[in-house]
Amino acid sequence: MVEAVAVASGKGGTGKTTTTLALGMALAEEHDVTVVDADTGMANLLFHAGLGDADTTLHDVLLDAAPVEAATYDRFGMRVVPCGTSLAAFEAADPDRLREVVATLAHDTDVLLLDSPATLGSKSAVLPVVLADRTVVVLEPTIPALSDGLKVGEYATAYGTDVAGVLFNKVRGDAGRVVEKAGRYFDGPTLGQVPSSEAARAARRAGEPLLAHAPDSEAARAFRDAAGRLDPKPGAPERVADRFRSAVIPDPP
Amino acid sequence: MTDADGDPPAGGAAERPPPPDGPRLPRGDLLRSRVVPVPGDLLEDALDRRLTGYATVVAGDALLLDGQGRGLLTFEDGVPVVAYHERTGRGGEAALADLTRGPWRVELSACDPAGLAHAHAVEAWRVPPGVPAERVAAAPDLAERTRRRAPDGRIGDDDPDLGAVEAFLEDTDRIEQVRAEARAEAERRAREWGLEKQFVDHH
Repeated sequence: MVEAVAVASGKGGTGKTTTTLALGMALAEEHDVTVVDADTGMANLLFHAGLGDADTTLHDVLLDAAPVEAATYDRFGMRVVPCGTSLAAFEAADPDRLREVVATLAHDTDVLLLDSPATLGSKSAVLPVVLADRTVVVLEPTIPALSDGLKVGEYATAYGTDVAGVLFNKVRGDAGRVVEKAGRYFDGPTLGQVPSSEAARAARRAGEPLLAHAPDSEAARAFRDAAGRLDPKPGAPERVADRFRSAVIPDPP
Repeated sequence: MTDADGDPPAGGAAERPPPPDGPRLPRGDLLRSRVVPVPGDLLEDALDRRLTGYATVVAGDALLLDGQGRGLLTFEDGVPVVAYHERTGRGGEAALADLTRGPWRVELSACDPAGLAHAHAVEAWRVPPGVPAERVAAAPDLAERTRRRAPDGRIGDDDPDLGAVEAFLEDTDRIEQVRAEARAEAERRAREWGLEKQFVDHH
């Protein structure tokens, strides 16, 4: 049983990887969760998950140099599949294998979280949103982040991917009116407001997900509440696997 | 915008109603005229120059709604003070929401601070120092640098300063334009990228 959820933002700097791992850890309390760094051109997740020295990454799998099991690490109650940082490896990797990798992982998990590229500018970047069952749109209360988040929502809808909800990150003060007004323009619910947090920055420096580094922080609580509203609906693994396998081959960016 | 007449500002800032014809700014000395792709470039340039003067901002060819009128942003020692948009006649944080879609042709001009006094006396046009960088440019580091440069009296404590973002969200025409453009772009790229099947399957 699996549901694939893309975590996307359309622009960088919104805390998307922090969000992916926080939602993953919170959901892992009740579900079997696998997190994949689908941002293959801008590896980030490995540093957040303390995997900076990982010997084998998704890039090796995409180069057909390792099985996906070798790039899958049990960390913080989840399975984590990080990307490496070598641009050369990324460029040499066979992106078509990403679909196979995800299809393989889909058979062995409840919730598959895809940390998606912070852009809609290439086929590879859009593919996680295209292929996921639902998308979480990560926003900041800034005009560019909202504008790009609206674009992500439209892309998702255009490809038949439901918007699981919007999550406001890095909120300073009370953004209640902005959250309420933004909610009118997105199909899914508002999952929550996560306050701007020094704890999140410290967690990143420590190479730990926020929920491991500062589980009692206000931001961690807000992420757990958001995960509670996500309400995963695992479906048949064959459905996700088939969607990924049948998708066209993405171009390298 | 008209040339300032040199009269001193009348009354306190809070008592002065916004003049209906917008800010009256002096001609100033043109420092730079260029097209910038992101608004942070303009704000960082003004901050680094410690500009006392103003920027006029004209939206690029790609814009439809913003194709008319100029946006105005004044600075003191590189810190934004007043925002106004000629098309909408709005000032303050709401005017920042009118400046949000680039690219922009920007002219930076320096002028004597006395020439800005009239505009700066209109409370309804003033913007918190870090808001243009934080909310319009989404550049928190630049916003923090700007706040550090600002005089003490201009910095609120925990004010989230979300007026520009709210104004953006209240502009339903603008939002619908963003969404319609995204839908058209998604469809066009689905064809370019060979994703028609995924696109069409769900509609």
